[in-house]
Amino acid sequence: MRRLVWPGLVVAVIVLVAVLAPLLPLPDPVVQDVAHRLAPWLPGSFLGRDEFGRDVLSRLIWGARSSLAVAFAASFVAAVAGTALGLFGGWFRGVAEFLAIRGADVLLCFPPILLALLVVTLMGPGTGTLIFVLSILYLPGFIRVAYAEVLSARAQDYVEAVRALGAPTGRILLRTLLPNIAGPVLVQVSLAVAAAVVLESGLSFLGLGVVPPTPSWGQMIRGARATMEQAPTLLLWPCVTLTVTILAMNLLCDALRDALDPRGAAPPRRLLDRVLPGLLPPPAPALLAVQGLTVEIATPGGIIRPVEDLTFSVTAGRTLAIVGESGSGKSMAALAVMGLLPPAARVAAGSAWFDGIDLLRAPEPALRRLRGGDMAMVFQDPMSSLNPVYRIADQVTEAIAAHRSPRPDEAVALLTRVGIADPARRARAYPHELSGGMRQRVMIAMAIANRPRLLIADEPTTALDVTVQAAILDLLADLRREGGMGMVLITHSLGVVAEVGDEVAVMYAAQIVERGPVGEVFARPRHPYTRALLAAVPDGEHEAEGIPGTVPRPDAWPPGCRFAPRCAHARAICATPPVLEVVDGRDIRCLRWREFSA
Amino acid sequence: MLWLLRRLGTSLLLMWVVATIVFMALHVVPGDPAEVLLSTGGTSPDAYAVAELRTQLGLDLPLSVQYGRFLAGLTRGDLGVSLVDDYPVAQEIMLRLPRTLELILAGSLIAVAIGLPTGTLAAVRHGGGFDRGAGAVAAVLQSVPVFVLGTLLILVFAQWLRWMPAGGFVPASQGLGQHLLLLSLPALAVGKGLAAVVYRMTRASVLDALSRDHVRTARAKGLTPRRVLARHVVRNALSPVATVLGLHMGALLGGTVLVEYVFNWPGLSTPLLRAVEARDYPMVVGIILTVSALFLLINLAMDFLYAALDPRILRS
Repeated sequence: MRRLVWPGLVVAVIVLVAVLAPLLPLPDPVVQDVAHRLAPWLPGSFLGRDEFGRDVLSRLIWGARSSLAVAFAASFVAAVAGTALGLFGGWFRGVAEFLAIRGADVLLCFPPILLALLVVTLMGPGTGTLIFVLSILYLPGFIRVAYAEVLSARAQDYVEAVRALGAPTGRILLRTLLPNIAGPVLVQVSLAVAAAVVLESGLSFLGLGVVPPTPSWGQMIRGARATMEQAPTLLLWPCVTLTVTILAMNLLCDALRDALDPRGAAPPRRLLDRVLPGLLPPPAPALLAVQGLTVEIATPGGIIRPVEDLTFSVTAGRTLAIVGESGSGKSMAALAVMGLLPPAARVAAGSAWFDGIDLLRAPEPALRRLRGGDMAMVFQDPMSSLNPVYRIADQVTEAIAAHRSPRPDEAVALLTRVGIADPARRARAYPHELSGGMRQRVMIAMAIANRPRLLIADEPTTALDVTVQAAILDLLADLRREGGMGMVLITHSLGVVAEVGDEVAVMYAAQIVERGPVGEVFARPRHPYTRALLAAVPDGEHEAEGIPGTVPRPDAWPPGCRFAPRCAHARAICATPPVLEVVDGRDIRCLRWREFSA
Repeated sequence: MLWLLRRLGTSLLLMWVVATIVFMALHVVPGDPAEVLLSTGGTSPDAYAVAELRTQLGLDLPLSVQYGRFLAGLTRGDLGVSLVDDYPVAQEIMLRLPRTLELILAGSLIAVAIGLPTGTLAAVRHGGGFDRGAGAVAAVLQSVPVFVLGTLLILVFAQWLRWMPAGGFVPASQGLGQHLLLLSLPALAVGKGLAAVVYRMTRASVLDALSRDHVRTARAKGLTPRRVLARHVVRNALSPVATVLGLHMGALLGGTVLVEYVFNWPGLSTPLLRAVEARDYPMVVGIILTVSALFLLINLAMDFLYAALDPRILRS
């Protein structure tokens, strides 16, 4: 809103001065006084006189009057006619639609100034011609805005409701639809006024717009060009006035558009800051040891923590599965470890030791050498994660080339290794020409290109068909066995965990609630959430039980146990936050777990 | 392939509609063109002379016949003769069109050369000093009318610094250096608005591309920031930039009319403005149809370029 103030003020002052021109104590803008031609300053003429001895300030102000009058009149006509056409076209469809939309398309085929020149040729120059041609020129903008809004509004419930009540069409258009498209039309009006001022001044500059002696800015610039040498200021005043007016109008348009468009406002972003040196010693001998990882995001409503105090480790040749519902923070944790957090998020605390380096504090160049080299990642959606404009082979080769020089045909060899049929042909394909399963195989091929020691797979099978899922999981398991890779597999599916996981960490609302070997956790779950998750899996004998409710949002976490509101076993004591206990090599975050696991 | 053909067909259809509208506009306008042509300063023209001119222009024929002749002429590239000096309109246009095209091309090159790097840099350092500074300059550039910028450029470079003449034209064959010198200021004036548009679009497009999954993949491969930017961000950001480039070429064509006038560049605008003042209908119609065809052609070329940049287009 603050952005509206200054441009708005400037435009308001200009419009006000133009409107009040007859009341201001100004010399007549058309009276010539050749004795004082080109005078730089005279009492009563602060900006001097022009080539005919007319007062420059007076002409600037009266010029604003004619420019703005033309611009506002034309925009008003275009707004009324265009909105009406768009409304009818969008509401009645059929012929009205065809005429309005195709007509707008055709009008847009002409460069604006040429259409203006054509009309001027036919009708002769003058204020009436200007208003006519400018209103035609800005018609398409209004037609399209009104049409698009009506089409989307037609399907809305409130319009359906009014129609169902049997309201007459005219009243629906005027009372229901018009108020709802007022915002976009208003933006379009401000755009049209600004554009009309530009075009009017351009035509007047060519001597084909406002007819002399009526003053206008374009004409003043035209006149001052001849005396540029003797009196450059004469040229500067109208140039500056015109430019400032248009600039203010354009800024006002932008601000207006942003203010009326709720999608526009983006939260301010903070840069990663990793200045804290590592305080904790690296715990051995895990391949990856994450301790106390906490991620923060600054939002307009305050700081939220999508990942809180996360601790886990992965050893070589084994798979840790991180399981949880959407919004539990599992992907964010993986991105933090890779150093690929989105700009809005930052690591607030914790350490992640990999190969003697704390990934959370390492400088970007060191991280870059690790990424795609010793540690690699496979993402959830293989379609958007592959670059659509490059061939498969190029993208795979690029993954190799980032760390060493690739051998010829190494990309094809990798594609063969991940089980892609006809790899030579697929290598030349673009991502959109492959199936989802094949794309994920390509992603995996890129990830294993440099034989990483740690592979993080973020929901690698979620976007795929069930039949393809199993094949991809088999492939990952094979690769892990052959290469001795450590793997972190992020998933929301317990079936996947049972199939490939050695250890499992269950996440709920940014925290780990239970962690331990897969067999033990599945056989004897300790946390009510883990039990609920397992019960939610259909297994043939029992009916699957859903968990009531959803994961709370990060800005609205319960004060105590975060699962308490959905937990069947919650008691008053659960309002105090539980700590993570380590019992028999298993982690558990529940105050009452002993009562259930007896 | 089918897509290309359909796109070509639509353009031809639009061209026909445009020609028809221009033709109709001439005939629905109140007042007889012949009468308007011959009237000078309020005196009513001689009825005999009007009748003779009507016959000469073919205005006495039925409208359908006139329309048929008009279209037939168009397909042969015959745009009639000027009412002022009987010179064939098509010949006049062919002489001057290359100069206007040169101006547009130079203007677009300048726009891309300025807008693309600054937009990318502003996106990479977004929120920083460079971003804000460039944004302010772009806003001013977008707002200053072409003829104002052109006039001010003359004032500064020709009048005060005396680096070059205020305008004019020297054929490239008679001195390439002087030709390019005289081209520089008008091209800058023509390209200024497009430069601001390209800057804005590049900045938005690069910002968008930076947050894409495939860029995350590229970073996960361990590519250097420079390579990520060059291969995975800028390349993908180019398609939308190419589209706006095409969309705003029309404004560029309009801008050349004013710029040619300001700098005395002998392109299409000189005969156009002269013809508008003299109501030389065939000349006005010929030039407007040529420029509109050019406009459609540029849009068509931009669509093809867009398809080449983004292999997914041809499939859908």
